[in-house]
Amino acid sequence: MGVLSSIINGILMGGVYGLLAMGLTLIFGIMKIINFAHGAFLMVAMILSYWLWKIMGLDPYLSIIIIAPLMFLLGYLTQRFTIKPVLDAEKDVREPIGALLLTAGLAVAIENFILMVFGADYLMAKTAYSGASINISSLSISVPRLYAFVTSLVVAFLFYQFLIKTELGRAMRATGQDRGVALLMGINVSKVYSIAFGIGTALAGLAGIVLIPFYYAHPSVGAVFITKAFIIVVLGGLGSVHGALVGGLIIGLIESVAAQYMTATWTAILIYFAFLAFLLLKPSGLFGSRYEW
Amino acid sequence: MPAKVLLELKNVTIKFGGLTAVSDLSFKLFEGEIVGLIGPNGAGKTTVFNLISGVYRPTEGEIYLNGENITGLKPFQICHRGIGRTFQVVRPFGGKSVLYNVMVGAFLRTNDTRKSREKALEVLQLVGLYNKKDVLAKNLTIVDRKRLEVAKALATEPKLLLLDEVLAGLNPAEVDEAVEMIRQIHKSGITILLIEHVLKAAMALSQRIMVLDYGKKIAEGSPEEVTSNPEVIKAYLGDNYGIA
Amino acid sequence: MRNFITPRYYLPALMIFILLLIPLFISSPYILHIMAMVLFWAYLASAWNIVGGFAGQLSLGHGVYVAAGAYVSSLLFANIGLSPWFGMIIGGLVAALLGVIVGYPTLRLRGAYYALATVGFAEGFRVILINTTKIGSWHTGGAEGFLVPLLGDAPQHMQFMSKVPYYYLALVLLLIIVGFSFWLDRSKLGYYLTAIREDEDAALALGINTSRAKLIAAALSAFFTGVGGVYYAQLIRYLEPNAIAGAIMSNQIVFLAIVGGRGTVLGPVIGGIFLTIIGEMTRILFDQVMGLHLFLYGIIVVLFVIFKPRGLIELVEKPYEKLVKMLNGRRVEGAS
Repeated sequence: MGVLSSIINGILMGGVYGLLAMGLTLIFGIMKIINFAHGAFLMVAMILSYWLWKIMGLDPYLSIIIIAPLMFLLGYLTQRFTIKPVLDAEKDVREPIGALLLTAGLAVAIENFILMVFGADYLMAKTAYSGASINISSLSISVPRLYAFVTSLVVAFLFYQFLIKTELGRAMRATGQDRGVALLMGINVSKVYSIAFGIGTALAGLAGIVLIPFYYAHPSVGAVFITKAFIIVVLGGLGSVHGALVGGLIIGLIESVAAQYMTATWTAILIYFAFLAFLLLKPSGLFGSRYEW
Repeated sequence: MPAKVLLELKNVTIKFGGLTAVSDLSFKLFEGEIVGLIGPNGAGKTTVFNLISGVYRPTEGEIYLNGENITGLKPFQICHRGIGRTFQVVRPFGGKSVLYNVMVGAFLRTNDTRKSREKALEVLQLVGLYNKKDVLAKNLTIVDRKRLEVAKALATEPKLLLLDEVLAGLNPAEVDEAVEMIRQIHKSGITILLIEHVLKAAMALSQRIMVLDYGKKIAEGSPEEVTSNPEVIKAYLGDNYGIA
Repeated sequence: MRNFITPRYYLPALMIFILLLIPLFISSPYILHIMAMVLFWAYLASAWNIVGGFAGQLSLGHGVYVAAGAYVSSLLFANIGLSPWFGMIIGGLVAALLGVIVGYPTLRLRGAYYALATVGFAEGFRVILINTTKIGSWHTGGAEGFLVPLLGDAPQHMQFMSKVPYYYLALVLLLIIVGFSFWLDRSKLGYYLTAIREDEDAALALGINTSRAKLIAAALSAFFTGVGGVYYAQLIRYLEPNAIAGAIMSNQIVFLAIVGGRGTVLGPVIGGIFLTIIGEMTRILFDQVMGLHLFLYGIIVVLFVIFKPRGLIELVEKPYEKLVKMLNGRRVEGAS
């Protein structure tokens, strides 16, 4: 693959990373919780989308209509019935980590539940466009990645508009900035949390759906993506929505381009070092506001 | 015989971004004194405490304790040298017992758990929390939390104790009790610098008062001198604070 | 004079006595192996507890230290014939050094940021381990893993054909860490770490050098974890980077301590014993169902975080105190 092709395909993949990271950063920005189950949610959506395609012949992109609301509901209920009681119990703890542990436990439970029910097989929805590519002279662009990228950007745009323009979006941002003030303004903080977690989970689900036509799903595929999402949100600044998108594009690009010059694993090591450097030296990331830490 | 200077601030200034929170502040505290630091909201009183206790490093100026320059030392080093402090918003180790909280402070001067416990019990007696020594800190009432805050600082055996609004939020009867407690502490030989919003109590306790407004010292003297100072009255009235 | 014939002394002694006798009644090497693993996991959870429980620093990368101890001792053993008994010390020290290397730059980080950094370190370390097949002329195996040479019965090299010595070794390790935790809980360092966990700024104001205390905790925790890694290497004799340094190892250690009760002396031990036994039982009973035991792990962790955040210890403590009281009462009655 030429350098230009790898740049383009890297950016295309980066868009999906960005979409996934946006959900993670949204949840952190508003609830101050790192959701360790985010990757597991992505995996669930991938598996669901695969089986809908396999059994009903439903195109993954059409399955969005079914799976996205389902994922929203899953996230909403997860926050309402598991995270909320933990947050309430830890109200007066200065460094609450119960919720973080909870999501880590959830991730393990979800992964292994899927393993029990669907097995450990590698699954991919081989649609008509799965193997297609657009070739312009020596340039080769993968069609499913292009679709995934465009969808990711559209969703990101809509989501951003939602945050900026709607009343609910404003309430969510207010809650993220200052929980106490939000309460005084009459915002139902607990409900905002549930909605934020629902939307975050739906975003992870969407990222999973656009991946399934060209990326193999298996029960532990979430682990691969969540580590990337961690790196991206730290790079972009924890809690920064546009930072997540830009961070996603950067990581996608680095992965793809660096792979031309070194082994994939050294690329991974390089990325981890960059991640740690950011976390240790500039925890606010590229775009993050300065958080109290 | 003139008393020994315990603490001295020399032209201390601190800026946060463009904002000057404390400006060219100089003062001396003599050993055995009890001095009040008052001023309207946002005058920079707590910032002064944070400067003395090493939470902030001054942009300019120096701070001396017993003649030693302690500017830029870390909070734990300053505590080692004999300055204890309380926080305006109390900070108990909530999940632990009252005794445990105070023992943490007492460990500063000993490595021995038994000695630390003895010291802590002694301090708890002094602040009147002995009977609640096994209660979890987070279950204490406001008054007792304030007492605990003082006890923790006392357990580090300070020469100078910085009290940040320990009377705020207490009812009159509780204020009287707390004033008595502070007197006892002072009597045991500890120099005290206190920030107070309850002016009546501050006036009753302090031998000397300093008034801060917009980060500057605008008056200093005996309680009577300060309350009759027109600039002080202006600063307070301008901020809706009557001198009660 | 203290009276040592009180339940407070003889109940723990009785417990240890029973643990000592177990190999006399169980001859199945398979069961003994599982029992050794149960004690070993309780040990690891207790080692994590020093930094994750007492100091409240949520490390999600303790697999690194297990791997450090296991690899260092095994490589020294395989290449220059150094006995793993010595390897225990060297492996522990290397892990402690790593603990400080991770701990120093993360001193400023709190809560979630610290947890993320430890994940970053651990993942980076795992990737390096997978991609390193040689250090100098020493083969490390890379992704395929490393087979520890088997010498047969060689007690001087921590290798035994019987599982009994492994069981006792795990028991000794566990008793050492419990003893250490018991001391720590009552020591100045323990008070300081607890203060840091509860409120770091308030701790600083009380004269605590929080950085130093956290680094000491990190080094101690990593040291004990590394020693555990050396034991693991000799018991399993196969080191696989993903299993030993990956998220599964790191998370499992944390889960045991959480379910048992972090920040307490015996919580991690109870959690380690309880969860490992459940895990092994489901593995035995439903061995054809992939993932069931980890699914249960996850669910149990979730349930505990929600309903019993202070852990199993809370459930065990009260009946135990009652038992002590009851036995005490009887003794007094009998004496009178």
